[in-house]
Amino acid sequence: MLDLCSISHKGGIVLWSRSFTPDASQIASSSASPVNSLIREALIEGRTAEEKFEKDGYAVKWTFVNDLELIFVVAYQRILQLTYVDDLLAALKTLFIKLFEPFLATFVASLHAMNSGKVVTAPAGNNTASWNFAKAFEGWDKVFDKLLKGLEDKAAQERKSRFRPTVHAPLADPSPPSDDLSTIPSESSVVAQDEQQIARNVQALKNRLRGRGGRRGGRGIARIDSGSGRDSMPSSDTESVKRKTNTKTQRKWGHEAPTESDMASLDFSFDKGDSGTDAPLSQDALSLVDKASLGTRTRDGMYEVKDWEFGSGDGETNDVISRALQPNGGVAKQASSSLGALSSLFARLTGSKVLTEQDLKPVLEGMKQHLMKKNVAMEIADKVCEGVGESLVGKKVGGFQTTNAAVRLALSSSLTRILTPKTSTDLLLSIRTKLSSALTSSQQRVPYSITFVGVNGVGKSTNLSKVCFWLMQNGLRVLIAACDTFRSGAVEQLRVHVRNLSKIAAESATDNGTRVELYERGYGKDAAGIAKQAISYAQENNFDVVLIDTAGRMQDNEPLMRALAKLVGVNNPDKIIFVGEALVGNEAVDQLTKFDRALRDFSSASAGKSRGIDGMLVTKWDTVDDKVGAALSMTYVTGQPIIFVGCGETYTDLRQLRVANVVRAILSE
Amino acid sequence: MTIEDTTHTPGRIEPEVASLTNLVSTPILVLASLSLAAILLAVVLIRRQRSRSAGNSLLLVGPPDSGKTAILSTLAYQRTLPSYTSLQTNAAVITLPGSSAKALRVVDIPGHPRIRGQFREYLSDARALAFVVDASTVSRNGAVVAEHLHHILHALTSLPPSQSPPKLLILAHKADLLKSNTSSSVSTELAVSRVKVILERELEKRRLSQVGNVGIEGLGEEGEKSDTGGLVCNGPAAGSFKFEEWEGGEVCFAGTWLAAGRPESGVDEKEGLDGLDGLREWLTQVAR
Repeated sequence: MLDLCSISHKGGIVLWSRSFTPDASQIASSSASPVNSLIREALIEGRTAEEKFEKDGYAVKWTFVNDLELIFVVAYQRILQLTYVDDLLAALKTLFIKLFEPFLATFVASLHAMNSGKVVTAPAGNNTASWNFAKAFEGWDKVFDKLLKGLEDKAAQERKSRFRPTVHAPLADPSPPSDDLSTIPSESSVVAQDEQQIARNVQALKNRLRGRGGRRGGRGIARIDSGSGRDSMPSSDTESVKRKTNTKTQRKWGHEAPTESDMASLDFSFDKGDSGTDAPLSQDALSLVDKASLGTRTRDGMYEVKDWEFGSGDGETNDVISRALQPNGGVAKQASSSLGALSSLFARLTGSKVLTEQDLKPVLEGMKQHLMKKNVAMEIADKVCEGVGESLVGKKVGGFQTTNAAVRLALSSSLTRILTPKTSTDLLLSIRTKLSSALTSSQQRVPYSITFVGVNGVGKSTNLSKVCFWLMQNGLRVLIAACDTFRSGAVEQLRVHVRNLSKIAAESATDNGTRVELYERGYGKDAAGIAKQAISYAQENNFDVVLIDTAGRMQDNEPLMRALAKLVGVNNPDKIIFVGEALVGNEAVDQLTKFDRALRDFSSASAGKSRGIDGMLVTKWDTVDDKVGAALSMTYVTGQPIIFVGCGETYTDLRQLRVANVVRAILSE
Repeated sequence: MTIEDTTHTPGRIEPEVASLTNLVSTPILVLASLSLAAILLAVVLIRRQRSRSAGNSLLLVGPPDSGKTAILSTLAYQRTLPSYTSLQTNAAVITLPGSSAKALRVVDIPGHPRIRGQFREYLSDARALAFVVDASTVSRNGAVVAEHLHHILHALTSLPPSQSPPKLLILAHKADLLKSNTSSSVSTELAVSRVKVILERELEKRRLSQVGNVGIEGLGEEGEKSDTGGLVCNGPAAGSFKFEEWEGGEVCFAGTWLAAGRPESGVDEKEGLDGLDGLREWLTQVAR
């Protein structure tokens, strides 16, 4: 049921891998492997705190061992609901480390060679100075097979045992009463009630019938009853026998519903508590049950039989597995903290202190509060700190480095990773590339189009004019499309900006020809149509860049989001820039997720390829001096880079983001 | 008082011990100790400088999925291990083949754009830098590769002058995945020429887009260096970017290939069946 299982080092080298289907084995060795996608998209981006990762129909679960820098990954089909994957990962972790710790330690040490270190040597016992990885892990395949089989069987048993109680409840259990009170079925009393009722009704009917039949004579009954076969005869017998009570007792043939008294005598469910028979009965019961072979009780109170012990030939592996699966055994015991702080100080100085969750929890809590004070959204601060904690648990800190310093270092590298862009943010390069890759001269080249989206009042039009100024400084011809047809004064605002920019361009530049123009069609029209016309106008008149200004809209206003997605779908702009302000706090997460999702969902119908947000522009940066956490929240949510930062209200107040400065500002006190 | 001290001479005579401090006067002593300290300091500094200017590492950098970790595992463990995308750097110490048998530290730096900036920390210690490119897919993602190479070139040109810059090698890897029409054997020259042509073209595009650019200042203090630059050529002004004319130093090329490590092969890969000879030759040349 699993597709792929692998154990690899954080530096990339795979130590062991197993795929269970031919498709999986083919994908596993290519770069589209689910493990590669996991590393590239979740682990490097710092989303290690999430439960699982899904891609291409695979669900992937993972766990780390931080002091040996290993990653354990299990991938299976997303539609399956496998319950034992977490247990499998935990057991794999403990078993692998237990079995191969010395080899792994030398291997990891060889990958962290210092400058003056020795040449990579093979582990002790190997003369030929060559590393034989296949031989080092040779017993592992068998152990893994056994472990997987054990877990799958247990899961199958659990599924079967869930069905068992509903089947057995109506049947009366004729076995001798056990000592456990929990095996008392709770449903029999309800059934008995109905049956008592039924018995009483039947008795009443019979009396009435007998009374009637008695008037007409026994023959009538006999004739009626003879139709039902042989069984009818005894009824007349019972009539006659009832009068002679001493000679014969009634014979019950079982074709009629039991009476109340019958049920009371036949009811063996309850412990009658006869004192006379108690002592020998309990002794017998004790001898019947072998305490050593008693199974375990699950959390729901169900009693599970003990697992079958395998034969003596495989005893060793099974010992290891069973010891590892027990909650107490197999886990590396940490140094006992009987001396408390003093022993931990000594451990740190000798370089062997291992970070535990308890050590990390207060420090991470403090870090989270610090991040929130810097205006990072609460969920993002939570997730980032959780991710940092996961990557530090089990790691060794040495020397005079305190836990605080280790956490701070890990947090700083995590923040840098989140903020560093993964695609190029060089807008001019992309513009020039697109313009220079023109088709034949008969066809005019398509201009580069940028759309600015965002909620109301963040500064889209102001920053659009700043970007326009910058593009004009670089010698490009810009057309501004006024697709905000809703807000009064939007078109006039852009007209003023265009007038100012033309004046600036006329004073400074020596080129002739207009550098910037406004394309507007008034108010109340459809924005997508205006944008389309603007782009074709720009194409005819040799403009280089089209900047599309849209109306501000709230992220949960569905008809407006649909309209925006239609604009994006119809015109397919080269860049969709989300404009957000630096003052936003927890709202940033909501805005960005909903905008991104709405664009992806609603725009895929027409264009065939779903577009999301491609980049972000953070405005009003000058109003927050070092509480710059909004930048972190926004990049964490979308994964896209921050292209520009607006830090003022004049045309030159446009900056690029410097990751090191932002990280320093966030972590400073 | 019959006992007469024979030692008791009229006029006490103190035993004369010729002390050193009396021979030499104090100013001369101070001078001597100072000069000794200066000599020691000079020796220590010279030794440290000698070890610093001659770094001892080879850095493997390059775009993701180009084969850097596989090269490192082949050089260090003599077998090509399968690998996933690296999350952190690997550093191993190897001996170079040949008579010199010097130890060289090989550092494999992950290529993912978010974490590739780590190479700057290792640059001060680098003797050689190999930029590994996947020759079979470079025609498709040439722009991304060129961006990465641009960062490296810029870092190399902005090293402080006291430090000797590391030698640069551009490795056209995975040459066996290129289909060559002429011969059946692996042609590394084809890989090298293809990589060279594509990279020169893309780097020229980047250089043009930055010439005469009015860039946007970075957020932060004034006077911080920008990220661009580093592509200046010494050749004729009208010429495009060429590796031979790059002002930062000499750029060598080599083509290599490796048999891909399969995760589940129980058979040991035969040692020596790899195509890393180009890399090894260059390393011995550099280490001389």
